[in-house]
Amino acid sequence: MNYLHKMKGGGQSPPKVGWAEVFWSWIGSFSGLAAVALIHYNILDEMGLMLIIGSFGASAVLIYGAIRSPLAQPRNLLGGHILSAIVGVTAFQWLGGQPWLAAAVAVSISIAMMHLTMTLHPPGGATALIAVIGGESVHQLGYLYVVIPTALGAIVMLIVALIINNIPKSRKYPEFWF
Amino acid sequence: MQAPRTEELSPLDISENDVIEAMKHITGYIDITPGDFKEIYQAAYTLAIKRLVNTLKAVHIMSSPLFVLEQDMTLVQAVALLSAKKISGAPVAEGEGKLVGVVSEKDFLKEMGFGATPSFMQIANHCLSHKGCMIGKLHNKTIGDIMTRPPITGTPEMSIGTISTLFSQRRINRLPIVEADGRPVGIVTRTDLAHSLTVLAERSKP
Repeated sequence: MNYLHKMKGGGQSPPKVGWAEVFWSWIGSFSGLAAVALIHYNILDEMGLMLIIGSFGASAVLIYGAIRSPLAQPRNLLGGHILSAIVGVTAFQWLGGQPWLAAAVAVSISIAMMHLTMTLHPPGGATALIAVIGGESVHQLGYLYVVIPTALGAIVMLIVALIINNIPKSRKYPEFWF
Repeated sequence: MQAPRTEELSPLDISENDVIEAMKHITGYIDITPGDFKEIYQAAYTLAIKRLVNTLKAVHIMSSPLFVLEQDMTLVQAVALLSAKKISGAPVAEGEGKLVGVVSEKDFLKEMGFGATPSFMQIANHCLSHKGCMIGKLHNKTIGDIMTRPPITGTPEMSIGTISTLFSQRRINRLPIVEADGRPVGIVTRTDLAHSLTVLAERSKP
């Protein structure tokens, strides 16, 4: 296929979902973020820790809004976030002097690692990036960033997904675990 | 007549709109484009057909028990038997039951001097303009004299893909199926093969 011709697209979008799907996506994401944010603001914040990071907003789209997607399954949610957090912290600690390089390496290596381990989860890229650009509060966590907020937050989001997504007859989560 | 070949069984050509309509029946957001789904469907369909064509074997579709003519039978007797059975040919066996050839309408027509594939009009023309219609040539001969030999045979494990290739390449209409020891166990005709495609179509329904 001609190089420029490829840019024309030509495919079609999948159909719009029904109202029930919108409703349950809303309930799920509201509950998931509420749980994470409550723990963050009422418990961990006072201890100088955090549970909420920007990439969880993106995870919510997948695990509450596109629950059939392979990208939204537990293997991908947990594996993608945890691996990317490790890569992100490592990139900052080794290359932090060159923030532009640390940012690019963190995200690109995360994507490669997620592909190789079959844990591709788009918000993982954000988790890796946040480890570099998240500021002093993130940097001082060191590798603790992998466990809290990343792993713990993802687990809380997953528990809410298991509870909420399986309530309606039309939904089932997960498609597979690992 | 061309026998269907494996590669000619192209997948049902679904459109992207068919995919979109089908996706609407499934609740939840499906994160694949209809175009990609169509591509996967076509590749999977081709694999499934190949698998079915290779798993359906002679033993599944053959007609048995097998009707066999004796090679020392006269043509007059054989014609009476074949017409009573409403079939146009049969394998031929010698005394101990071993297959030695196959006889069909073609062999009779050849023996009458018409060539292997005359049309009805050619025969009618010949019979109307000559006396005796050449059918007399068939007296005093035995099946062994006119049969095609050696017989082309298949095994019970032969796939229908292989059989249909054999039909079209060797220009035959019936394939006696024999066990390893040469014992005939059945026959696959073009009709059996056509019927097997219906079985395939039934099986490939979701």
